[in-house]
Amino acid sequence: MDAARKARLQAGGIEVDSALERMMGSEALLERFLTKFLADPNYDRLCRAVADRDEAAALTAAHTLKGVCGNLSMTALFETLTAQVAEFRAGDWAAAAGRMPAVTRAYQQAARAIRGED
Amino acid sequence: MEQQPRDLIPRTLLIVDDDEINRGILAHIFAGQYAIREAENGREGLQIIENAGASLCAVLLDVVMPEMDGLAVLRALQPTGALQRLPVFLITAEARDEVMREAYTLGVMDVISKPVVPYVVQRRVQSVVELFDARKRLSRTVEQQQSELVRRARQIVDLNMGMIEALSTAIEFRDGESGEHVRRIHDITALLLSRTAMGAGLSEEEIEQIALASIMHDVGKIAIPDAILNKPGRLTPEEYEIMKTHTLRGAELLASIPQLRDNQAYAYAYDIARHHHERWDGRGYPDGLKGEEISIWAQVVSLADVYDALSCKRVYKQAFDRDTVIRMICTGQCGAFNPKLLDSFLAVEPQLRCLYEQRG
Repeated sequence: MDAARKARLQAGGIEVDSALERMMGSEALLERFLTKFLADPNYDRLCRAVADRDEAAALTAAHTLKGVCGNLSMTALFETLTAQVAEFRAGDWAAAAGRMPAVTRAYQQAARAIRGED
Repeated sequence: MEQQPRDLIPRTLLIVDDDEINRGILAHIFAGQYAIREAENGREGLQIIENAGASLCAVLLDVVMPEMDGLAVLRALQPTGALQRLPVFLITAEARDEVMREAYTLGVMDVISKPVVPYVVQRRVQSVVELFDARKRLSRTVEQQQSELVRRARQIVDLNMGMIEALSTAIEFRDGESGEHVRRIHDITALLLSRTAMGAGLSEEEIEQIALASIMHDVGKIAIPDAILNKPGRLTPEEYEIMKTHTLRGAELLASIPQLRDNQAYAYAYDIARHHHERWDGRGYPDGLKGEEISIWAQVVSLADVYDALSCKRVYKQAFDRDTVIRMICTGQCGAFNPKLLDSFLAVEPQLRCLYEQRG
């Protein structure tokens, strides 16, 4: 991985060294999973479930997305989703739904960085 | 450490997680150490554990999964006892108190939080797998040693038996008997005790000890001079007195062997050697015991000895035919026996007869 790519990913909120450590140093594995992150349907599911006020679907999508972010060391997104999952579980719909702008912001940042967009 | 055959130690790690990235990361971490199997949900994972559990060394189990979640897998496994043989690690993003409590109660080995840190999850899983391996090796070693001990004990018993038989047969040879006599006494004694009421209350093992002891009933004859032992004609009263001492000399001889005194058969052997010429009416020797003062085993061996002596040719007599033998015993011409013993004897006499017919 060249320095520019690494810097771009870092700027997108992805802690590359931490993620690489989890992949036992395999850049190929990290790139494969970053590509999978773009194809992962859970972000769209979460948005739709919140719009539809489908509480069960929202919790499942947030939980799954959180797991993916954690593995890829997207720290900001991971922490936001962790808080959101806890609020969904606690039945605090307003607070959980209120986090959607932060979730979207962090998600878009990461996705753009992975795609290499400026 | 001793190398175990590889197929005896399971080497496959099962990863149960609905998320492909999670499975990929865990598989990558452990790929160098174990064969990896993956399942996408709890139901699939449970099937693999049920069908191929013996090949698994550990299970990494996610909690939140479609179809069947991790706790449901644990609840299904718990009653089967599988969790005692197979370490299961819960890998969870939410180490919530109620989840952890239930997981540990169900018998999970450890709870590891996601996202995983490779060296942590590696070390924790490896330590437990090694512990289970060591335990399996140890219990297998103990099992092997146990069966080896049983085999050696059996060998020692066989050797004892062989030596006792050899000694007794050597002594019997002096009065012209073959090894058949001691073998038949052994068999008649065992048969009377195991197939009739005479053996009531005796265990199979005790009967075996008594039959072994019966072989030694005449060892005292080693102390009797050849001239008396092999005299073709009637013994004079003095000679008869000397002959009678074979009972006491036999008991003394047995008592003088310390290794024998520790043997379970010793008490029987001593009693039988000393008392196999006692009579139910009290007119036997050497102690003049009467009725039930004489032990069951001494009574049984006494009858076996008479039955065998009458049925075979001896230096001082010919063999009698079967009807004559039975008549002589039952009419008291050759000793006085417990009526209960005579009943038992008559009941199994056809079987005793087979011991003689097989010989030719």
